[in-house]
Amino acid sequence: MAKSSPQTSGTGVWAQLSGLLGRGPGGYAFLSIYALVTSLLLLFNPRTNLFTDIVFILFLLMILAIYRTKVHIGFKIALGVITLGLVLPAFGTLNPYYIDVATQAGIFATLALGLNVVVGFAGLLDLGYVAFYAVGAYLWSIFSTPQVGLMIAGATPIPSGWFYGFILVGLTVGGVFGVLLGLPVLRLRGDYLAIVTLGFGEVIRVLAVNLDKPVNITNGAQGIKDIERPPLFFGDAFRAIAGAFGMQLDDNQLYQLFFYFMVLVVVLITILIVSRLKNSRIGRAWTAIREDETAAIAQGIPLVRMKLMAFAVGASFAGAMGVIFASKQLFINPPTFDLLRSIGILTMVILGGLGNIPGVILGAVLVTLLDLQILPRIAEILRSAQKAGWPIPAAFDPTQYQRLLFGLLMILMMIFRPEGILPEDRRRQELHEDDE
Amino acid sequence: MALLDATNITKIFGGLTAVNDVTLTIEKGSIVSVIGPNGAGKTTFFNILTGIYKPDKGAVLFDGAPTAGLRPDQIAALGMRRTFQNIRLFHNMTVLENALVGMHTHLHAPIWNIILRNRSLRLEEGKARDRSRELLRFVGLDEKRDELAKNLPYGDQRRLEIARALAGDPKLILLDEPTAGMNPNETVEATNLIRRLRDELGVTVVLIEHDMRLVMAISERISVLDYGTKIAEGDGQVIRSNPRVIEAYLGKGAAGNAA
Amino acid sequence: MAAEAKAPTRRVSSQRTPAELLRVIFLPLGQLLAFILGSAVVLGLIVVVLAFLLSRSDPKILQTALAILPQVIIDGIVRGFLFATIALGYTMVYGVLEFINFAHGEIFMVGGFVGAGVSYLLNQWGILANLPAILFVIIVVLIGMTVSGLLAMGTERIAYRPLRNAPRLVPLISAIGMSLVLQDTVRLVATNTPLGFNARFETPNFGKPFQLATIPLGERGIPVLIGPKAVVFIVAAMLMLLALNYLVNATRLGKAIRAVAQDRTTASLMGVNVNQIISLTFLIGGALGGAAGVLFGMNIGTVNPYMGFIPGLKAFTAAVLGGIGNITGAMVGGIVLGFLEAFVASYLSLFTGGAFSGASYADIAAFSILILILIFRPEGLLGESTTQKV
Repeated sequence: MAKSSPQTSGTGVWAQLSGLLGRGPGGYAFLSIYALVTSLLLLFNPRTNLFTDIVFILFLLMILAIYRTKVHIGFKIALGVITLGLVLPAFGTLNPYYIDVATQAGIFATLALGLNVVVGFAGLLDLGYVAFYAVGAYLWSIFSTPQVGLMIAGATPIPSGWFYGFILVGLTVGGVFGVLLGLPVLRLRGDYLAIVTLGFGEVIRVLAVNLDKPVNITNGAQGIKDIERPPLFFGDAFRAIAGAFGMQLDDNQLYQLFFYFMVLVVVLITILIVSRLKNSRIGRAWTAIREDETAAIAQGIPLVRMKLMAFAVGASFAGAMGVIFASKQLFINPPTFDLLRSIGILTMVILGGLGNIPGVILGAVLVTLLDLQILPRIAEILRSAQKAGWPIPAAFDPTQYQRLLFGLLMILMMIFRPEGILPEDRRRQELHEDDE
Repeated sequence: MALLDATNITKIFGGLTAVNDVTLTIEKGSIVSVIGPNGAGKTTFFNILTGIYKPDKGAVLFDGAPTAGLRPDQIAALGMRRTFQNIRLFHNMTVLENALVGMHTHLHAPIWNIILRNRSLRLEEGKARDRSRELLRFVGLDEKRDELAKNLPYGDQRRLEIARALAGDPKLILLDEPTAGMNPNETVEATNLIRRLRDELGVTVVLIEHDMRLVMAISERISVLDYGTKIAEGDGQVIRSNPRVIEAYLGKGAAGNAA
Repeated sequence: MAAEAKAPTRRVSSQRTPAELLRVIFLPLGQLLAFILGSAVVLGLIVVVLAFLLSRSDPKILQTALAILPQVIIDGIVRGFLFATIALGYTMVYGVLEFINFAHGEIFMVGGFVGAGVSYLLNQWGILANLPAILFVIIVVLIGMTVSGLLAMGTERIAYRPLRNAPRLVPLISAIGMSLVLQDTVRLVATNTPLGFNARFETPNFGKPFQLATIPLGERGIPVLIGPKAVVFIVAAMLMLLALNYLVNATRLGKAIRAVAQDRTTASLMGVNVNQIISLTFLIGGALGGAAGVLFGMNIGTVNPYMGFIPGLKAFTAAVLGGIGNITGAMVGGIVLGFLEAFVASYLSLFTGGAFSGASYADIAAFSILILILIFRPEGLLGESTTQKV
């Protein structure tokens, strides 16, 4: 069945590209050369500049190419392990800036995948998603620092080894918050739901600012600092491996690698869970609700329960990621979790393709790169142009204009391509499953 | 034994009585038609049976149990399924997925089984796929199972809606104008399909229909609604000769001329 | 749709007697004033009772509570009219398109900036100080209304009209995007002009606050003051409500708007130019929002590019509270919310002994109301319940 169907998806470039790399050795050769060239360019020129930026972006986009090219699944996995598991970390030890970008992209990919469960699968527009992330982050921040003593008199911070357990706690608490928010609001119509979740997100942020009295829970606007990192139980082994390659790693570098791998693993687990849910009775019920609520009810799907489940699942990813984020960041404060962050995550989901897992990841990576790399680079270029006498206003700093970026992306995507860059294609996906 | 017992159903919207004191009994294994002019309250009546509206008066007994207080999805889970007048498929899902959604009430895998994708989950999913394909074959859509529902031709969409309803293993299926917009050939096919629902799958069928030929050909009983009130009931012969029915359809005075 | 759409069926004759016309135009205002009086009395009584109960532990609470009460009521009225005028824009657009114009708070903000810009220019030219206050108000409000109205019309044309037949969430997302774009565009302009991020809103001298009464408390007595700018705000808001009532209920345009709100397809079959009517609805709603922005900026003294967001959200709450699509409802909702906020902001801290800061929890109170009203009475206080059609 897979072979008989003509190209079902992809317009223009994509169709041509996938046709070219359709079968035979072409795909293998293309991927190998692509991987080799970008890897070498990164490893031998690890300086932070525009050229490296572009190579780095191409390097990350290679994952998409690996995913889309028709080659043996084993080859895909091997190449993925080499690029993400070896090349990128090695590059990271040479230039810590880029691996931090990659880690951030991974964090946002998880958040976007979680939000995608709510918005993409179930069709519920949640504008307060970051609230669940905040809950997870504050959870670990409070309990791993002396802040806990301010909240509960006499309590002492828990040992940092509990970090791993707290990821599960964050997962659970996030899910519980999702249900708590969902219970009252999920009977609402779509656009009202959006506004109410937005209000909820704001409420959580306002609470984070104000809950320093009567009991100091969140330490208010000052935020919480010196958040614990988990012990590096394999630090010595890692140092030894790196040493064998002639690299000396300090603690900060090790932590950077640690969080990179941690996030990578979480992203992989998230992808696994989300895609399994998607192709199950639950995922089908979500899609049915998104497509037509009345018809979904007529199939015996309990609307509120399924929506609650979507909310809880989405929220629990955010809760778990919040714990990791707080630990990686060492410091959190309320503005970290403002509406703009929720909007940013929503933009990732919309840009990549509502409901489509690879699309959402692509969206997360693209928006993170735009935000953390391309805007600062444009700012740099503008500054030098300004010095050269171009009429560019002095106060204009592109890195401060994320709203404009997100806003424009949202409007343009809605008008010209509401299904996203990589639209959901259920037919292709069916075929793909048969391939494996 | 009666599968469905709707007694004295009344539904009022604002000042308008959409359904007025309608009683309808449906025997297990029968094919029953509800006919009447546009706006006679037929679809409203369906919506009351399936729980979308709550009746202002009256009660529905399905398979011996009252449905009052149940949500529409709970009533569907009891084995009462329906199709819609204006076809409501899940357009961006494939044909097979549409049928699988119809099986929702028969799938119980807990979320951790889904995440682990363990043996019991794979078994359940496999069975569901087999059953869905069986039903798609039954309505003649198995070849198109990987098409998106929205890309199907009109007649296929109607059949898919029936297959989706069948996936819930219903005792009773309510068809809301299953041949609306079909040409005579398609109507004949649809008629056969409806008959096979009962004969081969043993499903009791209630349909709302305008095509009198189809109604007369397959219904064992016919109920006629006009302005929300049941004005006649009986087999085709009785209905055809009932002056009130003729009047409702053709206007006042027509009954006299016809007789 | 809500009451606004249903009402016309009762009015068959196209010609009304002048007395009837006056009734249609002035009655909502009368109702509103009665409502304001009623809610002030009720909330005041609640506060007095609470204060009385609490005063057993701390006798000063009752005294303080009473002393600030009149000021809180005035504050509530000003806030209420602010939310009400913004809410009108939400409710009109929703009535016609069933669409939440998320960017409406930014239309309000733009109005404020235009006002600040005009007053800056007037100041630069040296004529601001000598301008009579009333003339100044009229000039800036008119300019602000024009710019905001046209902007609202433009956003509809660019970002919403192409999506009119798309699923409900698509134009909503586009509107969220538009809101962000407007915020940052204004910021870009403001920070690169002498206005700055926090732009000062210069005004001529409005004179001293009016003293309404003196509360005989302690030796000196506490004066009850209302600023002239607040008076301007309230009067202008009432005039706008009157004008809008006239427009919607007594003109051909109003009739066309109501027709489109009721049934777009049928209206277009009857020869109503639906696109034009929708544009005009945005123009009117935007102009009202712009006027509110100018008056608000004038009252506060500064404007910033992000100032529209929270009032916008609250005004939407007000619109929902009053029954979205219902013009009088939006006004009533705005007043309720304004009072509530003023009371929470002033008394929460007092009654809890300073444990909770009232100003921050006022926001939470507003959103809680939104959530509660949407859950328990989504048709709003003045709306009619509707049944979903299957």
